[in-house]
Amino acid sequence: MIRKRIPALLFLALSLAGIAALISCYAALSARTTAKNAQQTVVPGIDGFKKGFEKILKPGGMASNPKPAMIWSDLAATYWRLFLGLAIGVSLSIVVGVSMGAYRWIEALLSPMITFLSKIPPTAMMPIYFVLVGTDQAMFATMVGLGVFFTMAQSIYSAVQKDVRDDAIDKAYTLGASDMEIIVEVIWRQILPRVIDNIRLQIGPAMVFLLAAEMIVGNAGMGYRIRMESRILNMNVVYIYLAILGLSGLFAEYALLWTRRRISPWFGE
Amino acid sequence: MASSPRRITFGTITCLIASLPLLAGCPSKSTTSSGASKPEVFSLTWSEYPSWSVFGVAHEAGLLDQAEGKLGEIERKWNVDIVLKQADYDKCIEIYGTGNADAVCITNMDILGPSLQKASVVLFPTSTSDGADACIAVDGLDLESLKTQASFGLERSVSQYCFERVLEKNGLNPSDYTFSNMDPAIAAQALQSNDEKIKSIVVWNPFVMQTLESRSDAKVLFDSSAIPEEIVDMVVASKQAMQRKGGKDFAYALMETFYEVSRRIDDPKSADETLVALGEKFSNLDAKAMKTVVTQTKFYKSPKDAIALLEKKSFRDETMPTVAKFCVEHEILTLEPGKDVSLGFDASDKQLNFSSEYLKGYLETTAKK
Repeated sequence: MIRKRIPALLFLALSLAGIAALISCYAALSARTTAKNAQQTVVPGIDGFKKGFEKILKPGGMASNPKPAMIWSDLAATYWRLFLGLAIGVSLSIVVGVSMGAYRWIEALLSPMITFLSKIPPTAMMPIYFVLVGTDQAMFATMVGLGVFFTMAQSIYSAVQKDVRDDAIDKAYTLGASDMEIIVEVIWRQILPRVIDNIRLQIGPAMVFLLAAEMIVGNAGMGYRIRMESRILNMNVVYIYLAILGLSGLFAEYALLWTRRRISPWFGE
Repeated sequence: MASSPRRITFGTITCLIASLPLLAGCPSKSTTSSGASKPEVFSLTWSEYPSWSVFGVAHEAGLLDQAEGKLGEIERKWNVDIVLKQADYDKCIEIYGTGNADAVCITNMDILGPSLQKASVVLFPTSTSDGADACIAVDGLDLESLKTQASFGLERSVSQYCFERVLEKNGLNPSDYTFSNMDPAIAAQALQSNDEKIKSIVVWNPFVMQTLESRSDAKVLFDSSAIPEEIVDMVVASKQAMQRKGGKDFAYALMETFYEVSRRIDDPKSADETLVALGEKFSNLDAKAMKTVVTQTKFYKSPKDAIALLEKKSFRDETMPTVAKFCVEHEILTLEPGKDVSLGFDASDKQLNFSSEYLKGYLETTAKK
């Protein structure tokens, strides 16, 4: 029957079975490919992954000038860029989205333009960013920032319009609140869970832009490493990197869900 | 909420697109099997490069037909069905390495890695870089002041090889210089748009020519003409494919295609037409620009030229060991401890065999015909 509940234990068992099935399919594929060609590194087995882990955890640089292992420098590079970009994009979109939702004249001025620009895929804009912003850190941050800005500004703007009821604003005015007080005390509190949800939804697209850019410029980062290692067919490293991206994505997702539930329990699921 | 129906339609569209070649492929296969014996299917993956775009030109000229189930002139002659797969250079290496093509257009440096896991045979060299890879600098930088600036180019590629080898040859130490990773197209674009942080790039053609044309203050600091016949472009096939029925015919058909198009480039009657066609397959350059490109990428125009390279002592004893050493040092190759690069000349037991056997076989067979 549709939507019929199942025991929690069965749910857990089935989830684990799904993961086990995925792993065993992969193991079978790897064993089959290795049987055909013992030297293959395309679908590595356990030994291949062991070597992959050794490689990514091996300290970089030289004995006299030690550097962190590649995985740490790549993670640091990518997530710092992501953080910078999101920080810019999110703060800008909050300011713009809230003002668009609050004041009709700002809405009229910006809304058509932002709607249009949000329809251009940021990855297609990459050549423009390279020419206008250069090819270093500023480019990554701008690209991620603007990449999420247009979509987020729109969502926040529509959240201000739809989630904040007129009577709440009217009541605040009646009690003598100023515009700024209404924005901070009424509007911001109402839309905060939406903002957190939007950040959660934008991490995925932001990573797409970031990795695409890292694959063509840059000396470090997850995208850089995936391109370099797949170019020399070190797929063991590539799969580990993909798994790390998946896990960190999951972590970010749950961390933001938890934050939202914590800050705005009234919002529900 | 709105995303779930969108995802379904997107998925459906992808499925439809993916199934198109299947639908299109089915009838055409059955119609061409009317010949005496059905030609065996072999595939070659190639990327845009003067001596490799030749295969794209051959498709345009009707010498080959890139589609499966369709035959060009040369394919009919050797009774072999060659499928051409065009992709970016990096992707070609992956396609070949993962077993999705029987042969690949690749350099003598980049084949070392894939051949470790896929026993390969070098069928014939197509060209050598004689100025097609270059270090271009602005602001009057020279070899001394270049130390203060990073040079941008694709890491672990022939660009980095050219950069370090030429410095070495000039008695300089490559570790005094910084080579920084950037896609060559982007590096060239950055230099051309006067990006303040990018003063020196190491790129290959067409980016070399493009950059020199669009920035008059850009100068070539050095190029691959300083290391002749060290960067060699080749056609390499897997040994497994060569052992299949029709493997030799596949090799001979590729050779005939390459030498026929090379002949047309040299023949005054067909030179312009062929160069224009080649230019279209190579970043839309015109015939005049293509002439420069073709001199900077020196073709091995005949089987004899090709055999001469493969039998040349310096190529066997100096160039390839140097290239292999570079690859190990830069972790392009990861060898088991105590193991050496398994490459040899006319040594069929090696993982990578630079073989003149097929070239000689081709000469003999064509002499008879």
